[in-house]
Amino acid sequence: MAYPPPPGMGMMPMGGPHPMAAAGHHHQGVGSLGIPHKFQRKPKLTLRDMRDDYCEFELKNTDTSVANALRRTMIGEVPTIAIDLVDVEVNTSVLNDEFIAHRMGLIPLKSDFAVKMQTVYEAASGSNENNENYSAQSPTELTFKLHKRCESSQTAGIDVTSNDIEWDQAADGLDPNEVDVKPTTLAKLDESGNPEKGILIVKLRPGQEVKLTCIARKGIGKDHAKWSPVATAVFTFVPDIRIDQALMDTLTEDQRRAWIASCPTQVFELDPTTRRVIVKDPEAYTYDGECIKKAAEMGVPGLVEITPRSDDFVFRVETTGALPPATVVVWALETIEEKLKGTQEDIKKLIM
Amino acid sequence: MFSGVGEDPDDAEAAASQEISQEDAWEVINCYFNEMGLVRQQLDSFDEFIQNTMQEIVDESMEIDVEPVSQHDPTGGGLRQGAAQKRFKVRFGQIYLSKPMMVEADGDTSTLFPKEARLRNLTYAAPLYLDMTKLTYTTTVDDEAPDPGFDPATGEPLPRAMKTEEVVEPFEKVFVGRVPIMLRSKFCSLHGHSDKELTELGECPYDQGGYFIINGSEKVLIAQERMSNNHVYVFNKKQPSKYAHICEIRSVIESGNRTPSTLQVKMLSSGSKGGKAIRTTLPYIKQDIPIVIVFRALGFVSDKEVLEHIVYDFEDGEMMEALKSSIDEAQPVQSQETALDYIGKRGALPGVPREERIKYAKEILQKEMLPHVGIGEYNEAKKCYFLGYMVHRLLLCHLNRRREDDRDHYGNKRLDLGGPLLANLFRLLFRRLTKDVRAYLQRCVDNGKEFNLTYAVKARTITSGLKYSLATGNWGMQGNADVRAGVSQVLNRLTYASTLSHLRRMNSPIGREGKLAKPRQLHNSHWGMICPAETPEGQACGLVKNLALMAYVSVGSPSAPILEFLEEWTTENLEEVAPSSVPRATKVFVNGTWVGIHRNPDLLVRTLRQLRRQVDINTEVGVVRDIKLKELRLYTDYGRCMRPLFIVENKRLLVKKETVTLLERNDLVWNDLISNCMIEYIDTEEEETTMIAMRIEDLTDARENPEYAYTDSYTHCEIHPSMILGICASIIPFPDHNQSPRNTYQSAMGKQAMGVYATNFQLRMDTIGYVLYYPQKPLVTTRAMEHLHFRELPAGQNAVVAIACYSGYNQEDSVIMNQSSIDRGLFRSIYYRSITDEEKRLTGGARESFEKPSKEHTVGMRRGDYDKLDHDGLATPGSRISGDDIVIGKTTPIAEDLMGAASRKFSKRDVSHGAKNAGMVDQVLLTTNDTGMRFCKIRTRTIRIPQVGDKFASRHGQKGTIGMVYPQEDMPFSFEGISPDIIVNPHAIPSRMTIGHLVECLMGKVASFHGKEGDATPFTQVTVENISAELHKFGYQCRGNETMYNGHTGRMMEAQIFFGPTYYQRLRHMVDDKIHSRARGPHQILTRQPMEGRARDGGLRFGEMERDWYVFCLFVDLCALRT
Repeated sequence: MAYPPPPGMGMMPMGGPHPMAAAGHHHQGVGSLGIPHKFQRKPKLTLRDMRDDYCEFELKNTDTSVANALRRTMIGEVPTIAIDLVDVEVNTSVLNDEFIAHRMGLIPLKSDFAVKMQTVYEAASGSNENNENYSAQSPTELTFKLHKRCESSQTAGIDVTSNDIEWDQAADGLDPNEVDVKPTTLAKLDESGNPEKGILIVKLRPGQEVKLTCIARKGIGKDHAKWSPVATAVFTFVPDIRIDQALMDTLTEDQRRAWIASCPTQVFELDPTTRRVIVKDPEAYTYDGECIKKAAEMGVPGLVEITPRSDDFVFRVETTGALPPATVVVWALETIEEKLKGTQEDIKKLIM
Repeated sequence: MFSGVGEDPDDAEAAASQEISQEDAWEVINCYFNEMGLVRQQLDSFDEFIQNTMQEIVDESMEIDVEPVSQHDPTGGGLRQGAAQKRFKVRFGQIYLSKPMMVEADGDTSTLFPKEARLRNLTYAAPLYLDMTKLTYTTTVDDEAPDPGFDPATGEPLPRAMKTEEVVEPFEKVFVGRVPIMLRSKFCSLHGHSDKELTELGECPYDQGGYFIINGSEKVLIAQERMSNNHVYVFNKKQPSKYAHICEIRSVIESGNRTPSTLQVKMLSSGSKGGKAIRTTLPYIKQDIPIVIVFRALGFVSDKEVLEHIVYDFEDGEMMEALKSSIDEAQPVQSQETALDYIGKRGALPGVPREERIKYAKEILQKEMLPHVGIGEYNEAKKCYFLGYMVHRLLLCHLNRRREDDRDHYGNKRLDLGGPLLANLFRLLFRRLTKDVRAYLQRCVDNGKEFNLTYAVKARTITSGLKYSLATGNWGMQGNADVRAGVSQVLNRLTYASTLSHLRRMNSPIGREGKLAKPRQLHNSHWGMICPAETPEGQACGLVKNLALMAYVSVGSPSAPILEFLEEWTTENLEEVAPSSVPRATKVFVNGTWVGIHRNPDLLVRTLRQLRRQVDINTEVGVVRDIKLKELRLYTDYGRCMRPLFIVENKRLLVKKETVTLLERNDLVWNDLISNCMIEYIDTEEEETTMIAMRIEDLTDARENPEYAYTDSYTHCEIHPSMILGICASIIPFPDHNQSPRNTYQSAMGKQAMGVYATNFQLRMDTIGYVLYYPQKPLVTTRAMEHLHFRELPAGQNAVVAIACYSGYNQEDSVIMNQSSIDRGLFRSIYYRSITDEEKRLTGGARESFEKPSKEHTVGMRRGDYDKLDHDGLATPGSRISGDDIVIGKTTPIAEDLMGAASRKFSKRDVSHGAKNAGMVDQVLLTTNDTGMRFCKIRTRTIRIPQVGDKFASRHGQKGTIGMVYPQEDMPFSFEGISPDIIVNPHAIPSRMTIGHLVECLMGKVASFHGKEGDATPFTQVTVENISAELHKFGYQCRGNETMYNGHTGRMMEAQIFFGPTYYQRLRHMVDDKIHSRARGPHQILTRQPMEGRARDGGLRFGEMERDWYVFCLFVDLCALRT
């Protein structure tokens, strides 16, 4: 699908100037860990689709372990900002304090600002001392306020939604131009950039009121799913589908149609002109094995051979809206890099 | 009506378009539940008690008649001449019941609503008033009458003429007690309120009522099963018994409360010396009496007369022969007198003169034998016929012409619901009340005092008598011997379905220890009346039952209209019948009493049924025609199980399409269907005489392919076969695909599922309550759920379930759960717990008080934090509490004289309450109770997040605890990136054969793509093949399998995984409530052994096997040291 790639994305050879190679105190042709470059694979990432909350890309020339690491990191370790503490001042709604606090936590907050924040652990351990993105002043907390009351005139009752949550600039003392953290949804946005209909927190009847102060923190999905930037991140193996055309030719057209229909997804089709069965969309194949079973049933085993390619992956990332999908991928790669760096240093320490 | 044969083809076509489909039948079912609700039996039974039975009980009690007993007069001379002689009578009249009321301690009276009763621990009861009349008869010397002068013989003055004056003094509406009122009955304050008004009154509009509120706790009366009275049973006896056959009856008169009198007619087994003689038991007679002697005692002396009443048909040589030894046995007794004497000798004390004995025997025959036939004079002929009938039945069995009766047939069972139970209790209490009134009057009269009836009536008798039984479940008067326990139970409020099921429960009071399996087994006649799945396991299995969805219990109606009808329709009265005409006619029984014979039973039955269908006679009346026995049995009594059925005539339903259209438009209600002869109620006994089509299509088949049809004589048709299930079994999807015990397990487990138990849970202060954060209506539903409000008050969530092993942390019925799903709120729940306390009044006028105890003045303070208490001595709402924090502070003053030297500085003792649970204080209620004392309830809440060890179950008896939680990235994922919420082990499936579980999952998958609910009602045309085809269309493997990837490694898993949404329930058993360990802790004072139980932080036994392990370890250690 044609989609203008965002700057920095698109065809992005990941090998590039290798961060490890760039360290460069080893002789040419050998990587930082002494692995000759000729064995090093150059993973290649091709962007296929990019929307506000979704992206699809193909990752080639790498191993399942790498692909899975990327997937796992996207789900569990890309930091975002989410409400973590709720101070309840007034709550006369039908939901109890803990209930509302839980719901507040799950509201996705626009989290690009997370780079400039520290997690509470980082702040406490000082592990970010050497990181240029952070400073001692990097905030660990952002304060949000929510105050809503249903007046007795509003007999139908009102909805308290994520749109009612406001950042308390005064409490945090941060530059409002810099901080762009606000509740977000995947729903349509209005002129001011707010979702038209926010995420429902609680409904109020006349006379009911909620007044909360919320503290948002940076965190990762491993700690709590509310910090996970993705609804799902998934990869599949691209299949290699080979139809034995000779065998196929022995089938009648009705049989071919029946065989095509046996596959629940639209993988095969009948070429309108040649009347031969062709592979329409190999990636639609879900490895359900139905077409193979059908072939065996029809007495033509071996009609089709399907093998997953072990170095070709299609990734699909659906975000919660907290981060744009590209950011999720990039931050995930950065996190992996970060981890590998740490591992590398640890190993070095062991070797030396 | 449509003619069955030779129809005009056009007419047939028109008629066919008028036929309703199975789908239309659901409209009828909707209509039934909309009008009847789910606890109709309870409400109708109670209404019958209030509206009729209570007045009947009052009417049947005799008037009180009091005369002054002559007191000992030392001056001598008895009653003085000329003094007025007084005599009093008290008659009871009309009763009046007001709406439920509350009388505060200060005398303030106001209408009571259930919400207040529940919160303030009051009793939801209405005052009962009774009109009484005091009749005073003053007998004085008639001054106007001429002086009779003196007795010429003795010279003594003759007694003067007396006159009696009657003074009538009415006491209107005397308060006689408070009667607990069933919620949502006609006398409930909530009756006739709309859903909106109910909500404003703090009630749950889905609540069905049918229970009582006694001291703030909700009580259900469990229906009690018993054998039906006035029913002749014949049983064969096994060898060790002296008898070959026994024919018995429990005879009870229709009205009043006479204890049943059992009569057994027995035939000796051929081995014994009597030689097949037939004898009978008689009440108060110690020995069995030869049957012919009883006939003679009744005045039927000659052999011919006796035989006429037994055999009817003298051609029947076989039967005559069977009676021979009985006739021979009675040979010595040849007159009524001797027969009576024979009986009398074996009853009364020895040494009574013959005349007395004869009189005694006569009395017994008249009043005690077969009282249901009649206890008046001149019933001998009827009793003779009845006894003859019993012998006849016995002989039929003896001659192998009929099989013995089935004790477990449900037609022979009756259910005592709330109404009859309360009626029995009320009768006892009212009798006690009148006895007390009488005693009081007698005292007053004897002392020559005037009396006021208002003071004579002790309202406490009825008030506390009813309250005692309802509160404790001990049915009967306190202190009486024959009390039944467990009749009234605390209404289960764990889940809405468990509440409903509890309201439709019934119990058979047969010994739990009895090894006899028969009464516990499902019987054919339970079809449609009793749920085949819902029964507990273990001791009460099959004894505790549940009503099927459309089953109803008759409330009873008088038999007089039926008797009148029979007379009009030329039933020959038994007294006027010649025995010779019996064999050719049909015997007519009403409620077990033989009333006469009829010569055209076809017409009679047809008319009776037609009149019943037109509601000219009560729809409840059971009409049973036994062709083989030539009997017509009519029943009007209460407690018969019945259910509605479509009426079929000429192989066509009488409900037509247009009726259904009217129903859809709400232009017709259920009662119209009954009164327009489309549907009728059939009781279990009558069911045996019907031919019921299972499906509407069966009728179509019978019309179109008569040669293949099962029968062409259908009389009725099931409304829908799925209505045989009860409340809990109706929640199971595809129960017809499961192994039957699994449905039983689920029926028990569904009662432990969390959900929303009532919409007003925030306004209630239940001792324990569980509420699910995000309950969902199931993707796969049954049609019955609509009426159980399962969509509105669900108890579970649609979890994405994979059936896989995956790491093995789901072995042995454990499950793996997705931690990310839990983070997002899956199966999160709130646990509410309320603590109640009141300021008690102490002896000596002192009272306890709620306050924050101070260390300076209070002795015996507990270990725990008192800082959570506010100034009023109660914890503040919203404060966080841990297990042993004090939430109610209360002190009791120490009496001055008890204060020892050490405690002199303390004036109070601490009697505070701990929280028992960590969490938050949710709500605090401070009020007064009916004694005017301060009274408080504190509700705490705890959020329960699923964790390892918590229990979950699908709807197919598949329960398991969490064995492991994995975050989303570690869970397997599908092609689309969906990871399961729950992974269950495949080993849970094959041996348990819960195919329904799998089909539910498959249909759930289809339903989620359709965006519509899937229909999993049993006995419909849905097949796995259909569902699979649908799923294939949506682009999935047709059997629901998916290729999945290992979350840890990213590798494709070799096996395909069965994957889809399945409705799961969170059960109330959670580790946090059970986890227990201790190293050291409290000990018992007496034995110094460790305390027992988790609640007391008790010890855990280090048993033999644990010791063995320890010895082994030491041994290994020792060996290791040696080397």
